[in-house]
Amino acid sequence: MEIVEVVRAGGKPFKRAYVSIFLWFTGRAIQAAAKVDEQVRREFNSLPDDFTFSLGVLPDGPWMVIGREKGQVKYLGGDPEGRHLHVRLAMKNIETAFLILSFRESTALATARNRLITEGEVPQALAMIRVMDIVEVYLLPKMIARLAVKRYPSWTPGRKFFGRIGIYSRAMLGI
Amino acid sequence: MNSDSCFTFTCPVKTNSGNIALENLPVELSGLNAGKPLVVTNIAKVGRKAVRTLTGAFGDSGMSLGVFDSLGDKVDPALIEQLRTTFIEEEYDSIIALGGGTIVDSAKILNLTVSLKITDVRNLSAQTPVNRNLLPLVVVPTADATGLETAQFARLNGAVLSSEYLAPVLVVIDPRLTRGKDVKTIYATGLAALGRALESHIIAKENPFRQAYSFAAIRFIRDNLPAAVRNPDDKKTTLAVINAAVMSGCAFSGTEARPLHKLGQVFQEMLKIHPGIIMGMCLPHILDDYLHHDGNGLASLLHPLTGDEEFAQTPEVQRAGAAVSVLHRFMADLHSAPGKDVPQTLREAGVPPYAIEDIFEVLDVDPNGVYLRSVVERIRDKTPMAEKKG
Repeated sequence: MEIVEVVRAGGKPFKRAYVSIFLWFTGRAIQAAAKVDEQVRREFNSLPDDFTFSLGVLPDGPWMVIGREKGQVKYLGGDPEGRHLHVRLAMKNIETAFLILSFRESTALATARNRLITEGEVPQALAMIRVMDIVEVYLLPKMIARLAVKRYPSWTPGRKFFGRIGIYSRAMLGI
Repeated sequence: MNSDSCFTFTCPVKTNSGNIALENLPVELSGLNAGKPLVVTNIAKVGRKAVRTLTGAFGDSGMSLGVFDSLGDKVDPALIEQLRTTFIEEEYDSIIALGGGTIVDSAKILNLTVSLKITDVRNLSAQTPVNRNLLPLVVVPTADATGLETAQFARLNGAVLSSEYLAPVLVVIDPRLTRGKDVKTIYATGLAALGRALESHIIAKENPFRQAYSFAAIRFIRDNLPAAVRNPDDKKTTLAVINAAVMSGCAFSGTEARPLHKLGQVFQEMLKIHPGIIMGMCLPHILDDYLHHDGNGLASLLHPLTGDEEFAQTPEVQRAGAAVSVLHRFMADLHSAPGKDVPQTLREAGVPPYAIEDIFEVLDVDPNGVYLRSVVERIRDKTPMAEKKG
């Protein structure tokens, strides 16, 4: 008689779908922001020419991969397999990812609570965190973005308005 | 503290505490080279919801786990042998103990048998050498933890096995599982933690590492136990109490058993009463005895029990007495929590009068038996504080 019940871990399809869509859109938005925003461009210019970065969830994703190719910042899809990554930022589980990406916990607080694993050079990882913070400020209304970033920046209305239009339209079109 | 004193301290326990801490289990296990854990628990003690919360935390990890939820109130060698066979046949590679007390003792003994390939659990004794790393053991404590979960001891029907390898490698404390079922549970857990932390702190004068754990445990209890007893459903304070229990176990590991701990264990083993209940009753008496016997050790308790300012303002010779007064006030406050009934006498705790003689017989075997017996005699006919006030 079997005395031990075998339990197979179920899935969390809703949270997984939310995180996948978020990472997909953020990846395209980072590609767009590198063309629209000067500060983002400067951050990427300080990184190696073939720099590749991924952000995702352990153990099996979803992931987002961003890289520089011939001086251009590109969203390289959701599969980091086989790529040489300079920096990998991994959220420890799907619940953590949902907590962070639904803005109930800021990236800084989540890092302080040991919810993320960073592999690679810390200065490069910090550059990518700054880039993501800028992109979140563009993508989200102030009320929500304040929860996601450590300190909400004081930008001119013009930068925010035109940047937002540029990033949203480029992210939608994937250019 | 004398900086050139000699001391040793081992605590192999990693703690993962806080909101959604359980969900970190898959990544933590993979860090320990484990991917197929066996969960052992007692569903009657922890509840079906706790088991569901734990298994649910593995969602999206792709792992499969075994769950055995029918452990009893004591460590059963025959059952451990059955589990050992299943563990080996089904190729599990780690153990997760959900709960506290005997659940964790069973998990430690199971880990010993599977790691050291021991076939007959009855052959295990206090003399069994445990001198190498065992398989990863993870403890997920619930509200009825005793504090010994993180210690390097495992109790097997009267015998105490001791080795640093018996301690779990990871403790996961999640607020979804730490809320008390009732006032009595969290009260008992808090006082067991306080008792062991106090006894460890008194003797930790020359051991700064132990002192760090006992200091933090006492502070956590001081700041959170009264609120947790008033509202055992409160996530924040009950989480802190369980953290204190975990820390008290680490502080207590490797120390000689002291009177409070011994008395708590005897009643737990013989009558299945949570050691914290008995430790809470004995605490004021033992502290008074310490005061008359070894005031220096007690003086060190004043700092964690009060704060920097009060500690600094109290002359050194008065610190021991002040610490005892603070603890007496703390206990009186706990017992006077409005509408909350916690056992204050052996009768209220469910100790039948005829069992006292059996307790005395066990205590008489202890080298310090005469003293331990005198403490039990003092609490035997104690009048509850509520009646005294009335």
